[in-house]
Amino acid sequence: METPETLFIQYFNEESRPLAFYQKNMAGYTAVKKALTLSPDDIISEMKKSNMRGRGGAGFPTGMKWGFIPKQSPKAKYLVCNADESEPGTFKDRDIMRYTPHLLIEGMVIGGFAIGAHHGYIYIRGEYTREAKLLDQAIQEAYDAGYLGKNIQGSGFDFDLTVHRGAGAYICGEETGLLNSLEGKRGEPRVKPPFPAQAGAFGGPTIVNNVETLAAVPYIINRGGEWFSGLGKLEKSGGTRLFCVSGHVKKPGVYELGAGSVTLRQLIYDHCHGILGDKKLKAVIPGGSSAPVLTADEIDVIADIEPLMKIGTMLGSAAILVVSEDYCVVKLLQRITRFYAHESCGQCTPCREGCKWMEDIIERIEHGHGREEDLAMLLDISNNISGRTLCALGDAAAGPVMSFVKKFRADFEAHIRGGKCPNV
Amino acid sequence: MPKCIIDGREAEFTPGQNLIEVAKNAGIDIPLFCYHPGLSVVAQCRMCAVEVEKMPKLQTACSTMATEGMVVKTKSPKTAENQKSVMEFLLANHPLDCPICDKSGECDLQDNSYKYGSAYSRYTEERRTYLDLDMGPVIKKNMNRCIHCTRCIRFGSEVAGIHEMVALKRGNNTEITTIDGKPLETDYAGNYADICPTGSLTIKDFRFKKRVWFLTKVPTVCEGCSKGCNMEVHQDNNQIYRCIPRENMEINRHWLCDEGRFNFHYVEREDRLLDPARSKSGGLEVCDWGTSIDLAKATLDGKQIAFLIGSDLTQEEGAAILQFRSQHYPGAPVYHFGTPGVVSSADDAPEDRILKRKSKTSNLHGLEKLGIPGFTKLPKEITALLVIRGGRATLPLEIDGVEKVGLGVFMKDQAMMFSVILPGLSFAEKDGTILNYEGREQKLKRALQPLGQSKPVSEILMMWVNRKKAHGAA
Repeated sequence: METPETLFIQYFNEESRPLAFYQKNMAGYTAVKKALTLSPDDIISEMKKSNMRGRGGAGFPTGMKWGFIPKQSPKAKYLVCNADESEPGTFKDRDIMRYTPHLLIEGMVIGGFAIGAHHGYIYIRGEYTREAKLLDQAIQEAYDAGYLGKNIQGSGFDFDLTVHRGAGAYICGEETGLLNSLEGKRGEPRVKPPFPAQAGAFGGPTIVNNVETLAAVPYIINRGGEWFSGLGKLEKSGGTRLFCVSGHVKKPGVYELGAGSVTLRQLIYDHCHGILGDKKLKAVIPGGSSAPVLTADEIDVIADIEPLMKIGTMLGSAAILVVSEDYCVVKLLQRITRFYAHESCGQCTPCREGCKWMEDIIERIEHGHGREEDLAMLLDISNNISGRTLCALGDAAAGPVMSFVKKFRADFEAHIRGGKCPNV
Repeated sequence: MPKCIIDGREAEFTPGQNLIEVAKNAGIDIPLFCYHPGLSVVAQCRMCAVEVEKMPKLQTACSTMATEGMVVKTKSPKTAENQKSVMEFLLANHPLDCPICDKSGECDLQDNSYKYGSAYSRYTEERRTYLDLDMGPVIKKNMNRCIHCTRCIRFGSEVAGIHEMVALKRGNNTEITTIDGKPLETDYAGNYADICPTGSLTIKDFRFKKRVWFLTKVPTVCEGCSKGCNMEVHQDNNQIYRCIPRENMEINRHWLCDEGRFNFHYVEREDRLLDPARSKSGGLEVCDWGTSIDLAKATLDGKQIAFLIGSDLTQEEGAAILQFRSQHYPGAPVYHFGTPGVVSSADDAPEDRILKRKSKTSNLHGLEKLGIPGFTKLPKEITALLVIRGGRATLPLEIDGVEKVGLGVFMKDQAMMFSVILPGLSFAEKDGTILNYEGREQKLKRALQPLGQSKPVSEILMMWVNRKKAHGAA
């Protein structure tokens, strides 16, 4: 097994956090100095070359996204970091904020300069109280050292950065729901268009990027887009990826590997040392709990955007949930569906009504009150939600239901016909 | 004009128009719930989703702007499947209590269910329920019927200028309500019920009074102020049940204030005097028309008289009175009255930022155009008055100490100030022309047959004239 270069994981410890360490060992804030001598267009073009694709879940090319920001705008522009990290199974951004906050801050100053924003927000998950505090401390360090605030490093460029804590809603990880929440409104996604790049935070053109995406920016500026792109092993995916592996593996945790360099099987059996108790693998959810599930014989697939899309699931936030044969998949789906029904904002009809309906049916099945027609109905309801909601939460709820029922139909039927959960 | 293709039909549009409006102009109805032309677009109900060529997903017609050459299908299998599904979702928790719901018959949910829904429901889980909420004097909420379209929330913050309706909780438990369950504050509350696409918000004043399909709808104009908001009077069996706004984008758009909406109640108040009468010490004595006109004449003849006429009268009534004056009481001054503190059109101004104006009568500007001045103070030489009004103009206080004849709509306690009362018509019982604050001519339309013995001004004056002639001949 090759050991490729990594950007983050070697710094995931307490010692890396202070500004002094960052500057001494990580070329800290040299990228921002370099960036401030470049033109915004040069930075965006470097980002395009890097093949960086958003690490929040959608995988949209970051350079292209930055390029959507209008050059001239009567309203102030904003750069917002989505640190809500709300997709179940995802815990990589927490480590970046906890151990290498200055990477994120430097990345945001560069991003702000590239898109012409003078104010950035880090919208952080409400539960990350410790990380919010650490970010505030690091931001203060950066202000004191002249990397934030007025006239950064004598360049004439001003950039302020504010940490905004969420209040605990999954939907505030959806970028327009996040912007509403940031503005003090109810955390509900907005109708698109207009997209945030046209009218985002406070009506101004806004870019919303994930923590991991922004934290990679200093590397891209210092070492070049091409170098970064070369870290990935697929044509369209540059850089490394932070995988969050959880569930029934012997060594769960955050793993950093070149994008497209590893299959799910290698990740689970080589890097995570296999299934807990050497049990058989039952299922893998490859991209956070909203990703359609894979069976044990579908895991010889490269864990990256296109390969997973090709087999009907998604990489999402690269959160890999591993399920052993011991765990009831119906119960698992019940928990996933309950989560999405609970987190539905309630704005749009299919999601508000459909997610709870699915939850009720699955709960009946799990408790032995299922009916034969329930499975067809579940597929129909999920189909009526999928692709028809205001935001992606509907799809996030429908995907698991469709895939679990299709791929583990026998387990559902055993519940229905046996009148109880066989695992109980 | 640019064109797009909707259901194979060429449809012209102006840039910026959404597909719902473009389709409507082309005669194609796209079903909807949350969209309202007077409110912001939220694309929440998903009912209006249509197929747009080159787009993989269905697009909500409310939030999709027409573009040149766009090809749209509103009746494709994919569209129909979505409509059926949205109906199923919306009805899953709906109580289906149409038989006792006031909205029944004019309910978007009911109508769309009939057109796009399924005859039976697959939903067997426990239905979601909420408590009802009394939202103040105007509106009662039945949350179980609510489909979460949020029109009410948007109406409050975008039109009424008060963010008093909110969504509480989230997901399946979302409740649309007032903040802390407080009563509504806006004086435009009736509109909440008008725009509610189900029977969730109903007008207390109308609840359980009438099935809507029995109502005859008469397009007329509100007499509540000089704005001239367009409205419909809904009556059955010569009784008004409610008034609702009638769209006029140049005046009131889609709205009506509560004052105007509920103004009609005086028309059928029990204490409205509907017979000719004279006042005697201790009460009113009903008499026949002939006697009362003779008494009226006797009260005024040989005195220095003036006409006080309400600015709730129409142009036709105003002109008839002027003609009557010049032929039979030449030289008698004529003044208009209507709103304390508003003597002339110069005093009229917007009362709020929405619709209401300071002049609380409908035709102040029309009567001024007829050259009639506003009333301030009774000239000293005047010893008797002929007071004519509809039912809206506020009687001036400064007319004590002279003999008075009243012609128009008066409640019994008001009638006591007159020697003789000749019952006239309210706005709902007559046709006529009124001019609003900007001089726009609009028509009042008769919705009711005159109540009791009440008669139009012109007819009463005609009787007066003929009576005079007859007496003169005798």
